[in-house]
Amino acid sequence: MSDPYKVLNISPTASDDEVKHAYRELARKYHPDNYHDNPLADLAQEKMKEINEAYEQIQRQRKGGYAASSQRSGGYNGSYGNSYSSSTSGDPLLQRVRLAINSGDITQAERLLNEASDRGAEWSFLMGIVCSRRGWMDDARQYLETACRMEPNNEEYRQALQMFTSSGGYRPAGFRGFGTMTYGNDACMRLCAAWSCCMLSGGRCFFC
Amino acid sequence: MFGYIRPAAPRLSGAENERFRSAYCGLCHTLGRRYGFFARFLLNFDFTFLAILLSLGESGTRACRRCAAHPCKGCGAMAASPALDAAADRSVVLAWWQLRDHIADHGFLAGLKYRLAALFVRRAYRKARAMVPEFDAAVQRHLRELGAREAEHCASLDAAAEPFAALLAEIATVEPDATKRRVLGQLFYHLGRWIYLIDAADDFKQDAKSGNYNPLRYRYGVDGNELSEDVKRALGETLDASIRQMAGAYALLDAGEWSPVLDSIFYDSLYGIGKAVLEGSYRKGARFRRYRDTSEEPI
Repeated sequence: MSDPYKVLNISPTASDDEVKHAYRELARKYHPDNYHDNPLADLAQEKMKEINEAYEQIQRQRKGGYAASSQRSGGYNGSYGNSYSSSTSGDPLLQRVRLAINSGDITQAERLLNEASDRGAEWSFLMGIVCSRRGWMDDARQYLETACRMEPNNEEYRQALQMFTSSGGYRPAGFRGFGTMTYGNDACMRLCAAWSCCMLSGGRCFFC
Repeated sequence: MFGYIRPAAPRLSGAENERFRSAYCGLCHTLGRRYGFFARFLLNFDFTFLAILLSLGESGTRACRRCAAHPCKGCGAMAASPALDAAADRSVVLAWWQLRDHIADHGFLAGLKYRLAALFVRRAYRKARAMVPEFDAAVQRHLRELGAREAEHCASLDAAAEPFAALLAEIATVEPDATKRRVLGQLFYHLGRWIYLIDAADDFKQDAKSGNYNPLRYRYGVDGNELSEDVKRALGETLDASIRQMAGAYALLDAGEWSPVLDSIFYDSLYGIGKAVLEGSYRKGARFRRYRDTSEEPI
Protein backbone atom coordinates (compact mmCIF):
# COMPACT_ATOMS: atom_id res chain seq x y z
CA MET A 1 0.00 0.00 0.00
CA SER A 2 1.18 3.53 -0.69
CA ASP A 3 2.49 5.80 2.05
CA PRO A 4 -0.53 6.78 4.18
CA TYR A 5 0.99 10.16 4.99
CA LYS A 6 1.29 10.91 1.31
CA VAL A 7 -2.34 9.98 0.78
CA LEU A 8 -3.38 12.46 3.48
CA ASN A 9 -0.86 14.96 2.13
CA ILE A 10 0.92 15.51 5.46
CA SER A 11 4.38 14.88 6.83
CA PRO A 12 5.08 11.76 8.92
CA THR A 13 5.95 14.05 11.82
CA ALA A 14 2.48 15.63 11.87
CA SER A 15 0.76 15.68 15.24
CA ASP A 16 -2.33 13.55 15.91
CA ASP A 17 -4.50 16.63 15.60
CA GLU A 18 -2.99 17.50 12.26
CA VAL A 19 -3.61 13.98 11.02
CA LYS A 20 -7.21 14.17 12.13
CA HIS A 21 -7.65 17.59 10.56
CA ALA A 22 -6.17 16.46 7.23
CA TYR A 23 -8.36 13.38 7.25
CA ARG A 24 -11.52 15.35 7.99
CA GLU A 25 -10.81 17.89 5.26
CA LEU A 26 -10.25 15.17 2.65
CA ALA A 27 -13.30 13.24 3.82
CA ARG A 28 -15.34 16.41 3.37
CA LYS A 29 -13.88 16.84 -0.09
CA TYR A 30 -14.87 13.38 -1.34
CA HIS A 31 -18.08 13.09 0.66
CA PRO A 32 -20.90 11.22 -1.15
CA ASP A 33 -23.12 14.32 -0.94
CA ASN A 34 -20.74 16.10 -3.31
CA TYR A 35 -21.03 13.32 -5.87
CA HIS A 36 -24.72 12.57 -5.77
CA ASP A 37 -25.95 11.49 -9.19
CA ASN A 38 -22.52 12.32 -10.51
CA PRO A 39 -20.89 10.18 -13.24
CA LEU A 40 -17.60 10.35 -11.32
CA ALA A 41 -19.06 9.01 -8.05
CA ASP A 42 -17.13 5.75 -8.34
CA LEU A 43 -13.82 7.62 -8.48
CA ALA A 44 -14.73 9.69 -5.44
CA GLN A 45 -15.62 6.48 -3.62
CA GLU A 46 -12.22 5.03 -4.45
CA LYS A 47 -10.53 8.16 -3.13
CA MET A 48 -12.58 7.98 0.06
CA LYS A 49 -11.57 4.36 0.51
CA GLU A 50 -7.90 5.27 0.11
CA ILE A 51 -8.22 8.06 2.65
CA ASN A 52 -10.05 5.86 5.16
CA GLU A 53 -7.41 3.16 4.81
CA ALA A 54 -4.55 5.62 5.16
CA TYR A 55 -6.11 7.12 8.27
CA GLU A 56 -6.70 3.71 9.82
CA GLN A 57 -3.14 2.68 9.06
CA ILE A 58 -1.73 5.77 10.72
CA GLN A 59 -3.99 5.22 13.73
CA ARG A 60 -2.82 1.64 13.96
CA GLN A 61 0.83 2.61 13.71
CA ARG A 62 0.47 5.32 16.33
CA LYS A 63 -1.71 3.46 18.78
CA GLY A 64 0.03 0.14 18.44
CA GLY A 65 -2.67 -1.85 16.74
CA TYR A 66 -5.77 -0.87 18.76
CA ALA A 67 -8.39 1.72 18.15
CA ALA A 68 -8.50 1.43 14.40
CA SER A 69 -11.92 -0.15 14.26
CA SER A 70 -13.44 2.22 16.79
CA GLN A 71 -12.09 5.18 14.84
CA ARG A 72 -13.49 3.73 11.70
CA SER A 73 -17.00 3.65 13.04
CA GLY A 74 -16.83 7.41 13.38
CA GLY A 75 -15.53 7.74 9.85
CA TYR A 76 -17.37 8.59 6.68
CA ASN A 77 -18.93 5.57 5.12
CA GLY A 78 -21.80 7.12 3.24
CA SER A 79 -23.21 5.53 0.15
CA TYR A 80 -22.15 6.55 -3.33
CA GLY A 81 -24.63 4.08 -4.74
CA ASN A 82 -27.21 6.58 -5.98
CA SER A 83 -29.49 3.65 -6.58
CA TYR A 84 -33.24 3.91 -6.88
CA SER A 85 -35.25 1.02 -5.56
CA SER A 86 -37.26 -0.54 -8.36
CA SER A 87 -39.82 -2.03 -5.99
CA THR A 88 -41.37 1.40 -5.38
CA SER A 89 -42.46 1.57 -8.98
CA GLY A 90 -45.83 0.17 -10.07
CA ASP A 91 -45.29 0.67 -13.77
CA PRO A 92 -43.15 -2.10 -15.36
CA LEU A 93 -41.62 0.33 -17.87
CA LEU A 94 -40.53 2.70 -15.11
CA GLN A 95 -39.17 -0.26 -13.16
CA ARG A 96 -36.93 -0.99 -16.11
CA VAL A 97 -35.89 2.67 -16.15
CA ARG A 98 -34.85 2.40 -12.50
CA LEU A 99 -32.85 -0.72 -13.22
CA ALA A 100 -31.12 0.98 -16.15
CA ILE A 101 -30.26 4.00 -13.96
CA ASN A 102 -28.89 1.74 -11.24
CA SER A 103 -26.70 -0.12 -13.70
CA GLY A 104 -25.40 3.21 -15.00
CA ASP A 105 -26.95 2.84 -18.46
CA ILE A 106 -28.30 6.37 -18.79
CA THR A 107 -28.84 6.17 -22.55
CA GLN A 108 -31.09 3.16 -22.13
CA ALA A 109 -32.98 4.84 -19.27
CA GLU A 110 -33.60 7.89 -21.41
CA ARG A 111 -34.77 5.81 -24.35
CA LEU A 112 -37.27 3.99 -22.17
CA LEU A 113 -38.52 7.25 -20.67
CA ASN A 114 -39.08 8.70 -24.11
CA GLU A 115 -41.19 5.66 -24.99
CA ALA A 116 -43.49 6.12 -22.01
CA SER A 117 -46.92 7.53 -22.77
CA ASP A 118 -47.96 8.13 -19.17
CA ARG A 119 -45.85 11.02 -17.95
CA GLY A 120 -46.80 11.39 -14.32
CA ALA A 121 -44.85 12.38 -11.24
CA GLU A 122 -42.62 9.32 -11.23
CA TRP A 123 -41.78 9.81 -14.90
CA SER A 124 -40.72 13.40 -14.15
CA PHE A 125 -38.71 12.26 -11.16
CA LEU A 126 -36.79 9.66 -13.16
CA MET A 127 -36.28 12.10 -16.01
CA GLY A 128 -34.81 14.50 -13.45
CA ILE A 129 -32.36 11.83 -12.27
CA VAL A 130 -31.36 11.02 -15.87
CA CYS A 131 -30.80 14.72 -16.64
CA SER A 132 -28.79 15.16 -13.49
CA ARG A 133 -26.47 12.26 -14.43
CA ARG A 134 -26.08 13.83 -17.86
CA GLY A 135 -25.08 17.16 -16.43
CA TRP A 136 -28.28 18.81 -17.68
CA MET A 137 -28.66 20.66 -14.42
CA ASP A 138 -31.39 23.11 -15.34
CA ASP A 139 -33.64 20.47 -16.91
CA ALA A 140 -32.96 18.15 -13.97
CA ARG A 141 -34.18 20.74 -11.53
CA GLN A 142 -37.31 21.47 -13.51
CA TYR A 143 -38.24 17.79 -13.75
CA LEU A 144 -37.65 17.23 -10.04
CA GLU A 145 -39.73 20.29 -9.19
CA THR A 146 -42.52 19.05 -11.44
CA ALA A 147 -42.48 15.65 -9.72
CA CYS A 148 -42.70 17.32 -6.31
CA ARG A 149 -45.50 19.59 -7.45
CA MET A 150 -47.51 16.64 -8.75
CA GLU A 151 -46.98 14.54 -5.62
CA PRO A 152 -45.98 16.87 -2.80
CA ASN A 153 -46.08 14.09 -0.19
CA ASN A 154 -43.71 11.70 -1.94
CA GLU A 155 -40.66 11.38 0.26
CA GLU A 156 -38.38 10.02 -2.50
CA TYR A 157 -39.03 12.95 -4.83
CA ARG A 158 -38.75 15.50 -2.05
CA GLN A 159 -35.41 14.09 -0.95
CA ALA A 160 -34.04 14.09 -4.49
CA LEU A 161 -34.98 17.74 -4.99
CA GLN A 162 -33.62 18.64 -1.57
CA MET A 163 -30.36 16.87 -2.41
CA PHE A 164 -30.17 18.64 -5.74
CA THR A 165 -30.73 22.16 -4.43
CA SER A 166 -28.94 22.04 -1.10
CA SER A 167 -25.67 20.40 -2.01
CA GLY A 168 -23.06 23.14 -1.92
CA GLY A 169 -20.20 20.95 -3.07
CA TYR A 170 -16.79 21.02 -1.46
CA ARG A 171 -14.82 24.20 -1.08
CA PRO A 172 -11.80 24.73 1.15
CA ALA A 173 -11.89 27.11 4.09
CA GLY A 174 -11.86 30.72 2.96
CA PHE A 175 -13.78 29.94 -0.23
CA ARG A 176 -17.17 29.18 1.31
CA GLY A 177 -20.53 30.81 1.60
CA PHE A 178 -21.04 32.46 -1.75
CA GLY A 179 -22.49 31.60 -5.13
CA THR A 180 -22.64 33.43 -8.42
CA MET A 181 -25.42 35.77 -7.31
CA THR A 182 -24.12 36.28 -3.79
CA TYR A 183 -20.49 36.77 -4.75
CA GLY A 184 -19.00 39.74 -2.98
CA ASN A 185 -22.16 40.48 -1.00
CA ASP A 186 -20.73 40.24 2.49
CA ALA A 187 -17.52 38.85 3.87
CA CYS A 188 -15.75 38.66 0.57
CA MET A 189 -16.79 42.16 -0.49
CA ARG A 190 -13.28 43.39 0.02
CA LEU A 191 -11.82 40.72 -2.19
CA CYS A 192 -14.37 41.31 -4.88
CA ALA A 193 -13.60 45.01 -4.88
CA ALA A 194 -9.92 44.29 -5.15
CA TRP A 195 -10.62 41.85 -7.91
CA SER A 196 -12.74 44.11 -10.09
CA CYS A 197 -10.39 46.97 -9.37
CA CYS A 198 -7.58 44.84 -10.66
CA MET A 199 -9.58 43.99 -13.77
CA LEU A 200 -10.41 47.63 -14.43
CA SER A 201 -6.87 48.75 -14.00
CA GLY A 202 -5.96 46.45 -16.81
CA GLY A 203 -5.22 43.13 -15.14
CA ARG A 204 -1.87 44.50 -14.11
CA CYS A 205 -1.48 41.84 -11.50
CA PHE A 206 -0.62 39.37 -14.21
CA PHE A 207 1.37 41.43 -16.59
CA CYS A 208 3.10 44.23 -14.84
CA MET B 1 -17.03 32.98 -26.89
CA PHE B 2 -13.66 32.47 -25.30
CA GLY B 3 -11.76 34.66 -22.92
CA TYR B 4 -13.81 34.66 -19.71
CA ILE B 5 -11.71 32.61 -17.34
CA ARG B 6 -8.94 33.97 -15.19
CA PRO B 7 -7.68 33.24 -11.68
CA ALA B 8 -8.74 35.40 -8.75
CA ALA B 9 -5.51 37.38 -8.74
CA PRO B 10 -5.86 38.92 -5.25
CA ARG B 11 -6.09 35.42 -3.82
CA LEU B 12 -2.71 34.53 -5.23
CA SER B 13 0.80 35.41 -4.21
CA GLY B 14 3.16 37.04 -6.68
CA ALA B 15 4.82 33.69 -7.35
CA GLU B 16 1.48 32.08 -8.17
CA ASN B 17 0.49 34.88 -10.52
CA GLU B 18 3.89 34.43 -12.12
CA ARG B 19 3.15 30.75 -12.53
CA PHE B 20 -0.10 31.50 -14.34
CA ARG B 21 1.75 33.95 -16.52
CA SER B 22 4.31 31.28 -17.35
CA ALA B 23 1.54 29.12 -18.83
CA TYR B 24 0.22 32.10 -20.78
CA CYS B 25 3.68 32.86 -22.14
CA GLY B 26 4.43 29.18 -22.74
CA LEU B 27 1.30 28.75 -24.83
CA CYS B 28 2.05 31.97 -26.72
CA HIS B 29 5.55 30.77 -27.60
CA THR B 30 4.19 27.36 -28.60
CA LEU B 31 1.62 29.01 -30.88
CA GLY B 32 4.38 31.09 -32.44
CA ARG B 33 6.70 28.16 -32.92
CA ARG B 34 4.10 25.83 -34.42
CA TYR B 35 1.90 28.26 -36.31
CA GLY B 36 3.83 31.42 -36.99
CA PHE B 37 3.68 34.94 -35.62
CA PHE B 38 0.01 35.72 -36.32
CA ALA B 39 -1.23 32.67 -34.43
CA ARG B 40 0.08 34.29 -31.24
CA PHE B 41 -2.77 36.76 -31.46
CA LEU B 42 -5.26 33.93 -30.95
CA LEU B 43 -4.04 33.47 -27.40
CA ASN B 44 -6.48 34.08 -24.57
CA PHE B 45 -7.00 33.13 -20.93
CA ASP B 46 -9.39 30.26 -21.62
CA PHE B 47 -6.88 28.51 -23.86
CA THR B 48 -4.24 29.08 -21.18
CA PHE B 49 -6.56 27.46 -18.67
CA LEU B 50 -7.01 24.46 -20.98
CA ALA B 51 -3.24 24.22 -21.41
CA ILE B 52 -2.76 24.16 -17.63
CA LEU B 53 -5.34 21.40 -17.16
CA LEU B 54 -3.80 19.33 -19.93
CA SER B 55 -0.29 19.70 -18.52
CA LEU B 56 -1.12 18.58 -14.95
CA GLY B 57 1.33 15.95 -13.85
CA GLU B 58 4.06 17.05 -16.23
CA SER B 59 7.22 18.34 -14.66
CA GLY B 60 6.87 22.01 -15.45
CA THR B 61 10.21 23.55 -16.19
CA ARG B 62 10.34 27.22 -16.93
CA ALA B 63 12.74 29.13 -19.08
CA CYS B 64 13.30 32.85 -19.48
CA ARG B 65 12.03 33.81 -22.93
CA ARG B 66 11.88 37.10 -24.72
CA CYS B 67 9.16 38.14 -27.13
CA ALA B 68 7.79 41.22 -28.88
CA ALA B 69 5.68 42.10 -25.83
CA HIS B 70 8.57 41.63 -23.39
CA PRO B 71 11.66 42.40 -25.47
CA CYS B 72 14.04 43.48 -22.73
CA LYS B 73 13.10 41.82 -19.50
CA GLY B 74 11.84 38.55 -20.91
CA CYS B 75 9.68 36.39 -18.71
CA GLY B 76 9.47 32.89 -17.32
CA ALA B 77 7.58 30.78 -19.82
CA MET B 78 6.62 27.14 -19.47
CA ALA B 79 9.00 25.03 -21.54
CA ALA B 80 7.66 23.28 -24.62
CA SER B 81 5.76 20.10 -23.83
CA PRO B 82 3.35 17.69 -25.55
CA ALA B 83 0.49 19.13 -23.50
CA LEU B 84 1.24 22.68 -24.63
CA ASP B 85 1.50 21.49 -28.23
CA ALA B 86 -1.87 19.73 -27.90
CA ALA B 87 -3.42 22.83 -26.35
CA ALA B 88 -1.98 25.05 -29.09
CA ASP B 89 -3.29 22.82 -31.91
CA ARG B 90 -6.77 22.82 -30.43
CA SER B 91 -6.68 26.54 -29.66
CA VAL B 92 -6.02 27.34 -33.31
CA VAL B 93 -8.90 25.14 -34.48
CA LEU B 94 -11.29 26.62 -31.90
CA ALA B 95 -10.22 30.18 -32.63
CA TRP B 96 -10.69 29.64 -36.36
CA TRP B 97 -14.23 28.36 -35.98
CA GLN B 98 -14.99 31.18 -33.61
CA LEU B 99 -13.87 33.60 -36.31
CA ARG B 100 -16.03 31.84 -38.90
CA ASP B 101 -18.95 32.14 -36.53
CA HIS B 102 -18.36 35.88 -36.14
CA ILE B 103 -18.27 36.27 -39.89
CA ALA B 104 -21.55 34.37 -40.26
CA ASP B 105 -23.19 36.42 -37.49
CA HIS B 106 -22.22 39.85 -38.75
CA GLY B 107 -23.12 41.72 -41.91
CA PHE B 108 -20.55 42.60 -44.51
CA LEU B 109 -19.22 45.80 -42.96
CA ALA B 110 -19.40 44.73 -39.32
CA GLY B 111 -17.81 41.42 -40.23
CA LEU B 112 -14.97 42.99 -42.13
CA LYS B 113 -12.50 42.91 -39.24
CA TYR B 114 -13.21 39.23 -38.72
CA ARG B 115 -12.69 38.52 -42.43
CA LEU B 116 -9.40 40.32 -42.24
CA ALA B 117 -8.36 38.35 -39.17
CA ALA B 118 -9.41 35.12 -40.89
CA LEU B 119 -7.03 35.92 -43.75
CA PHE B 120 -4.14 35.99 -41.32
CA VAL B 121 -5.21 32.89 -39.44
CA ARG B 122 -6.10 30.71 -42.42
CA ARG B 123 -2.66 29.24 -42.88
CA ALA B 124 -2.35 28.40 -39.20
CA TYR B 125 -5.77 26.78 -39.27
CA ARG B 126 -4.91 24.62 -42.29
CA LYS B 127 -1.80 23.42 -40.53
CA ALA B 128 -3.70 22.69 -37.32
CA ARG B 129 -6.40 20.85 -39.24
CA ALA B 130 -3.72 18.60 -40.71
CA MET B 131 -2.33 17.97 -37.19
CA VAL B 132 -5.63 17.17 -35.49
CA PRO B 133 -8.12 16.19 -38.21
CA GLU B 134 -10.45 14.28 -35.84
CA PHE B 135 -10.71 17.22 -33.50
CA ASP B 136 -11.47 19.58 -36.37
CA ALA B 137 -14.15 17.21 -37.67
CA ALA B 138 -15.67 16.91 -34.18
CA VAL B 139 -15.74 20.68 -33.74
CA GLN B 140 -17.52 21.09 -37.07
CA ARG B 141 -20.03 18.40 -36.17
CA HIS B 142 -20.82 19.99 -32.81
CA LEU B 143 -21.08 23.45 -34.32
CA ARG B 144 -23.56 22.17 -36.90
CA GLU B 145 -25.64 20.80 -34.02
CA LEU B 146 -25.35 24.13 -32.25
CA GLY B 147 -26.68 25.83 -35.37
CA ALA B 148 -29.58 23.39 -35.52
CA ARG B 149 -30.56 24.09 -31.90
CA GLU B 150 -30.43 27.79 -32.59
CA ALA B 151 -32.58 27.43 -35.68
CA GLU B 152 -35.27 25.51 -33.80
CA HIS B 153 -35.27 28.17 -31.03
CA CYS B 154 -34.45 25.59 -28.39
CA ALA B 155 -36.07 26.48 -25.05
CA SER B 156 -33.94 24.18 -22.89
CA LEU B 157 -30.73 25.73 -21.60
CA ASP B 158 -29.13 22.30 -21.35
CA ALA B 159 -30.10 21.15 -24.83
CA ALA B 160 -28.85 24.45 -26.26
CA ALA B 161 -25.58 24.24 -24.33
CA GLU B 162 -24.99 20.55 -25.07
CA PRO B 163 -23.17 20.89 -28.43
CA PHE B 164 -20.72 23.46 -27.11
CA ALA B 165 -20.19 21.51 -23.89
CA ALA B 166 -19.61 18.30 -25.87
CA LEU B 167 -17.20 20.19 -28.11
CA LEU B 168 -15.03 21.22 -25.16
CA ALA B 169 -15.29 17.71 -23.66
CA GLU B 170 -13.73 16.51 -26.91
CA ILE B 171 -10.44 18.13 -25.81
CA ALA B 172 -10.13 15.55 -23.01
CA THR B 173 -9.42 12.85 -25.61
CA VAL B 174 -5.83 14.16 -25.66
CA GLU B 175 -5.22 12.62 -22.24
CA PRO B 176 -3.64 9.14 -22.46
CA ASP B 177 -4.70 7.96 -18.99
CA ALA B 178 -8.26 6.55 -19.09
CA THR B 179 -9.34 7.68 -15.61
CA LYS B 180 -7.94 11.14 -16.02
CA ARG B 181 -9.56 11.35 -19.44
CA ARG B 182 -12.94 10.63 -17.86
CA VAL B 183 -12.43 13.27 -15.18
CA LEU B 184 -11.24 15.90 -17.67
CA GLY B 185 -14.15 15.03 -19.98
CA GLN B 186 -16.62 15.80 -17.20
CA LEU B 187 -14.73 18.95 -16.22
CA PHE B 188 -14.56 20.27 -19.79
CA TYR B 189 -18.22 19.43 -20.40
CA HIS B 190 -19.30 21.68 -17.57
CA LEU B 191 -16.73 24.28 -18.48
CA GLY B 192 -18.33 24.38 -21.93
CA ARG B 193 -21.81 24.56 -20.45
CA TRP B 194 -20.76 27.37 -18.13
CA ILE B 195 -19.04 29.35 -20.91
CA TYR B 196 -22.06 28.93 -23.21
CA LEU B 197 -24.49 30.18 -20.57
CA ILE B 198 -22.24 33.03 -19.44
CA ASP B 199 -21.89 34.08 -23.05
CA ALA B 200 -25.66 33.95 -23.54
CA ALA B 201 -26.11 36.26 -20.53
CA ASP B 202 -23.34 38.55 -21.73
CA ASP B 203 -24.87 38.87 -25.20
CA PHE B 204 -28.47 39.08 -24.09
CA LYS B 205 -28.97 42.78 -24.80
CA GLN B 206 -27.19 42.65 -28.11
CA ASP B 207 -29.18 39.58 -29.23
CA ALA B 208 -32.43 41.25 -28.17
CA LYS B 209 -31.61 44.20 -30.40
CA SER B 210 -30.41 42.21 -33.38
CA GLY B 211 -33.04 39.47 -33.06
CA ASN B 212 -30.43 36.71 -32.85
CA TYR B 213 -31.31 33.52 -30.98
CA ASN B 214 -30.55 33.60 -27.27
CA PRO B 215 -31.42 30.55 -25.13
CA LEU B 216 -32.30 32.69 -22.08
CA ARG B 217 -35.12 34.42 -23.97
CA TYR B 218 -36.85 31.12 -24.74
CA ARG B 219 -36.09 29.36 -21.46
CA TYR B 220 -37.32 32.17 -19.21
CA GLY B 221 -39.73 33.81 -21.64
CA VAL B 222 -38.10 37.23 -21.39
CA ASP B 223 -39.73 39.89 -23.53
CA GLY B 224 -37.59 42.98 -23.19
CA ASN B 225 -33.86 43.33 -23.46
CA GLU B 226 -33.15 43.16 -19.73
CA LEU B 227 -32.92 40.06 -17.55
CA SER B 228 -35.06 40.40 -14.41
CA GLU B 229 -33.62 39.69 -10.96
CA ASP B 230 -35.57 36.43 -10.79
CA VAL B 231 -34.12 35.24 -14.07
CA LYS B 232 -30.63 36.19 -12.94
CA ARG B 233 -31.11 34.26 -9.71
CA ALA B 234 -32.31 31.15 -11.56
CA LEU B 235 -29.47 31.40 -14.04
CA GLY B 236 -26.99 31.97 -11.22
CA GLU B 237 -28.15 28.77 -9.56
CA THR B 238 -27.68 26.67 -12.65
CA LEU B 239 -24.25 28.25 -13.23
CA ASP B 240 -23.39 27.32 -9.65
CA ALA B 241 -24.43 23.73 -10.40
CA SER B 242 -21.95 23.57 -13.28
CA ILE B 243 -19.17 25.12 -11.19
CA ARG B 244 -19.81 22.50 -8.50
CA GLN B 245 -19.59 19.75 -11.11
CA MET B 246 -16.29 21.20 -12.32
CA ALA B 247 -14.97 21.45 -8.77
CA GLY B 248 -16.04 17.85 -8.09
CA ALA B 249 -14.06 16.67 -11.11
CA TYR B 250 -11.13 18.92 -10.25
CA ALA B 251 -10.95 17.38 -6.75
CA LEU B 252 -10.20 14.04 -8.42
CA LEU B 253 -7.18 15.40 -10.29
CA ASP B 254 -3.74 15.77 -8.80
CA ALA B 255 -3.10 19.45 -9.44
CA GLY B 256 0.33 19.52 -7.78
CA GLU B 257 2.02 22.90 -8.10
CA TRP B 258 -1.00 24.27 -9.93
CA SER B 259 -3.28 23.83 -6.90
CA PRO B 260 -3.29 27.48 -5.74
CA VAL B 261 -4.02 28.82 -9.24
CA LEU B 262 -6.71 26.24 -10.02
CA ASP B 263 -8.24 26.47 -6.51
CA SER B 264 -8.69 30.18 -7.04
CA ILE B 265 -10.49 29.50 -10.32
CA PHE B 266 -12.78 26.64 -9.32
CA TYR B 267 -13.58 27.86 -5.82
CA ASP B 268 -13.68 31.59 -6.40
CA SER B 269 -13.22 33.40 -9.67
CA LEU B 270 -15.80 31.45 -11.72
CA TYR B 271 -18.44 32.76 -9.29
CA GLY B 272 -17.03 36.27 -9.47
CA ILE B 273 -16.94 36.32 -13.26
CA GLY B 274 -20.54 35.02 -13.37
CA LYS B 275 -21.66 37.76 -11.03
CA ALA B 276 -19.86 40.45 -13.03
CA VAL B 277 -21.42 39.22 -16.29
CA LEU B 278 -24.93 39.01 -14.80
CA GLU B 279 -24.60 42.49 -13.36
CA GLY B 280 -23.37 43.83 -16.65
CA SER B 281 -20.11 45.09 -15.16
CA TYR B 282 -17.98 42.59 -17.03
CA ARG B 283 -17.36 44.24 -20.37
CA LYS B 284 -15.59 47.25 -18.96
CA GLY B 285 -12.93 45.06 -17.47
CA ALA B 286 -12.77 43.02 -20.62
CA ARG B 287 -11.67 45.91 -22.75
CA PHE B 288 -8.13 45.55 -21.58
CA ARG B 289 -8.22 41.88 -22.27
CA ARG B 290 -9.15 42.49 -25.87
CA TYR B 291 -6.34 44.92 -26.27
CA ARG B 292 -3.96 42.72 -24.44
CA ASP B 293 -4.41 39.45 -26.22
CA THR B 294 -6.13 40.97 -29.26
CA SER B 295 -8.67 38.18 -29.19
CA GLU B 296 -11.96 39.22 -30.70
CA GLU B 297 -15.02 40.31 -28.84
CA PRO B 298 -16.81 37.24 -27.42
CA ILE B 299 -19.45 35.90 -29.78
